[in-house]
Amino acid sequence: MSQSEYLEVFIDESEEHLQAINDNLLKLENEPDNMDIVSEIFRSAHTLKGMGATMGFEDLANLTHNMENVLDLIRNGELEVTPEVMDIIFDAVDDIEEMVTDIASGGDGSRDIQEITKQLESLQGIETEDAGEEVAATATAAPTTETSDEIEETFDEYELTVLSQSEEQGYKAFKILVTLDEKTMLKGVRVFMVFETLEEAGEIIKSTPSAEDLENEKFELSFVVTLLTHESKTDIQKRIEKISEIASVKIEEVNVKQEKQKKLALEEKEHQEAQQKEEKGTKGKKEKKPSQQSSSPKEKSSSNKKQKGMELNKTIRVNIDRLDVLMNLFEELVIDRGRLEQISSELNNNELQETVERMSRITGDLQEIILNMRMMPVEQVFNRFPRMVRSLSRELNKKVKLEIIGADTELDRTIIDEIGDPLVHLIRNSLDHGIETPDERVAKGKPEEGIVKLRAFHSGNHVFIEIEDDGAGIDKEKIMNKALENGVVTDEDLEKMTDQQIYSLLFASGFSTAEKVTDVSGRGVGLDVVRTTFESLGGVVTVDSELGKGSLFSIQLPLTLSIIDVMLVEVAQEKYAIPLTAIVETAIVEKKDVYNAHNQKVIDFRGKVVPLVFLDEIFDAPLKNEEQDFYSLVIVHKGEKVAGLVVDSLIGQHDIVLKSLGNYLTNVFAISGATILGDGQVALIVDTNELIK
Amino acid sequence: MASVLVVDDAAFMRMMLKEILEKNGLKVVGEATTGDEAVRLYKELNPDLVTMDITMPEKNGIEALKEIIAADPDAKVLMCSAMGQQAMVLDAIQAGAKDFIVKPFQEDRVMDSIRKVLR
Amino acid sequence: MTVAEKKDLKVIVFQLKDEEYAIEVDYVTSIEKMQKITRIPGVPSYIKGVMNLRGVIIPVVDLRSRFQLEEIDYEENTRILVLNKDGDEIGFIVDGANDVIDISSTDIEPTPEVVGGVKEEYLRGVVKMGDRLFTLLHLEKILPKVKD
Repeated sequence: MSQSEYLEVFIDESEEHLQAINDNLLKLENEPDNMDIVSEIFRSAHTLKGMGATMGFEDLANLTHNMENVLDLIRNGELEVTPEVMDIIFDAVDDIEEMVTDIASGGDGSRDIQEITKQLESLQGIETEDAGEEVAATATAAPTTETSDEIEETFDEYELTVLSQSEEQGYKAFKILVTLDEKTMLKGVRVFMVFETLEEAGEIIKSTPSAEDLENEKFELSFVVTLLTHESKTDIQKRIEKISEIASVKIEEVNVKQEKQKKLALEEKEHQEAQQKEEKGTKGKKEKKPSQQSSSPKEKSSSNKKQKGMELNKTIRVNIDRLDVLMNLFEELVIDRGRLEQISSELNNNELQETVERMSRITGDLQEIILNMRMMPVEQVFNRFPRMVRSLSRELNKKVKLEIIGADTELDRTIIDEIGDPLVHLIRNSLDHGIETPDERVAKGKPEEGIVKLRAFHSGNHVFIEIEDDGAGIDKEKIMNKALENGVVTDEDLEKMTDQQIYSLLFASGFSTAEKVTDVSGRGVGLDVVRTTFESLGGVVTVDSELGKGSLFSIQLPLTLSIIDVMLVEVAQEKYAIPLTAIVETAIVEKKDVYNAHNQKVIDFRGKVVPLVFLDEIFDAPLKNEEQDFYSLVIVHKGEKVAGLVVDSLIGQHDIVLKSLGNYLTNVFAISGATILGDGQVALIVDTNELIK
Repeated sequence: MASVLVVDDAAFMRMMLKEILEKNGLKVVGEATTGDEAVRLYKELNPDLVTMDITMPEKNGIEALKEIIAADPDAKVLMCSAMGQQAMVLDAIQAGAKDFIVKPFQEDRVMDSIRKVLR
Repeated sequence: MTVAEKKDLKVIVFQLKDEEYAIEVDYVTSIEKMQKITRIPGVPSYIKGVMNLRGVIIPVVDLRSRFQLEEIDYEENTRILVLNKDGDEIGFIVDGANDVIDISSTDIEPTPEVVGGVKEEYLRGVVKMGDRLFTLLHLEKILPKVKD
């Protein structure tokens, strides 16, 4: 099983890189001329390729390699960033994503990449025919650093002065071409080690790329360092070869005279080229050879301004399992705290009470810190949506702009893990049913491009996630008709319903108002699944809409899951916990105020007919309730619906730690979990949603 | 036969490294699971080489490295890092670590590094 | 599996009605005295409920009930064997835990059709050691199904 740990790292890193690629590709679409972005993408692809190859995922390595080639063309200005090119690259990324997903779920990551490879190759092929000469030129130009006899390096005026002065003082100057092993990881550190080793032997006066770029790993495998030293070529060679992961070292003495001549020649050439360009005017682009000589001085002047140095990140990576262990241990502590509080109140000893109170405060603070540690920005989920909206809108022939607000809003990671899919569904829904086609929009006097806003924000103990579109809105009539057709509601029901309640029918089981089934949301999964997922997380979904103007889907989520506020109740000598979020209020009603309606006991509560649910019956209690003249009720709600749970007595409000019943006991009716009380007893947590019809 | 002290809080990683080392004729004379234990065992066993994990509970690998170097400036410590710990590894090299290897470990890469450090 | 079959087996022997049964010790994480069990509504009757095992909530199965033997009141000797199968813990209520012994796989004989009223499918074999006779249980068959 030793592979599994590797695999985990591999999958994590791959996902990060894929995300980076996706983000950067989207950026590139907006700034097609920004070569920094291309370099970033290239780097991610390169890393992916390396990792894939290391792990033996050949298709992944091959595909990323091919993508790398295309990116290289773009970077060298030989291929323009057009929507068509972007589509192919995005497709390739999709394929890579599929591979990683496959690997993550235990597959071997193999995939038919013939089609996409062909497309990627055609991008390279077309260019080869078009600008065959140019490609050929770069093909020979690129490896110069590796194969030609001389190490490429150019020096500016200042550097040449330093060089000649040092020569006078008896120093030798070496150009050192270091090539790292292809599999090198943490290249930046490796470079640092090379620098450190060289600085023991002399003084580094220059490096290409710059030290900063090298440390930030903005290079392929090779770099050139110019060193002033008293040591011999062989000694330097030996020093560097002691460092691991160095594929080759090539050292050449700098001939200062020659360098000066080279520089003069170069200046002359540049001068001429500049003149030619002016003469030829518009033909400039094709004429420009991406040769190193002409570009490096420019790069240098800009990189010289930047200070050398690395940003040290004051964070560490902690395995999420450890956080879970920490959380579990803390939960134990919360249980014992409950026990201690109970004992201390029984003993009524001042000192004990003070200590326990203090402990409660500290554990309260601790709880906050631990919960915070588990918080992650919703960005983790949101960042996949721009890609999705882009491809969806192309698929649907709609123009849609996605605005993301509050991506840094944080939520417990357990919740983060779960909300991705239902949000995808809602966004798809907005694009498919909400936003109109450009023609329709123009006809309605709206801008051609629709806007979907994805918003996250904090409010009290909750996080809200909203999806708002400026599309067609929800047609109330259609929903009502459909709901009647499907028997979800009756005419009577509808009469009493508010607009919002009617919109909420969208989330009723098997409901779909789409007149035509599209690829996008016509997948047979209704919005009811979305609602259930959110509800299982303690969330509430609401809809608001204005016909013709747009819709707003709002999801309210708890900040954290594991510790919840409950009302403890006793039912036939058994204790149950009812989540406070579900409770409207508690009440006591006399038995004579209970009516029968359709074989259902109901009460009139604040002018509303509220059905009663007898928990002892539901839970099949072996012991019976004591006969009393009144019922103790906990009024609970599920959305707009309410019910009165009949219990024996109310014990009180508690902070409890939600625990699972384990894998053997799933789907116990109306029980969502359990908790351990202060006295060590287990109490079951009531899932009130299942008790309200 | 060179003696090695393997430091890592994960039993799995220690097992893995030990297997690689012993297959290549090195002798694992001790295993430590925390920084503190590493420092103590280093002084006690005086091994030719230490493989030091960076992320460990309590005292991390870099702190332990610094203490070992303080006690024995010639100590040969090889850092074991995970991907994405560039800054930490850099710290370690500056603090006197001789080299680093990146998880997942590859036998040839590990041995190449160890041979260079021991030379 | 073939390697495991050849090796000697360490088992825990426990009492159920008037017979002795055994389970591989590897599965057993602890043996607990009887404690308060919280009933779970709407589950098969042999699942007595859940208990708090040092902060973890685990289901508890009454083995007598599981094997459709007559149920009796729990007493001083009643024990809960806590087993761990693939990370899921579960408790088995037995009449008493007797001892841990080593057996050799060659000691395991095929099961007669019914042993003390326990269905054959739950059994892996019968072990005879001197004048002692006990039945090796087939844990996978006894455990409730794990749902996803």
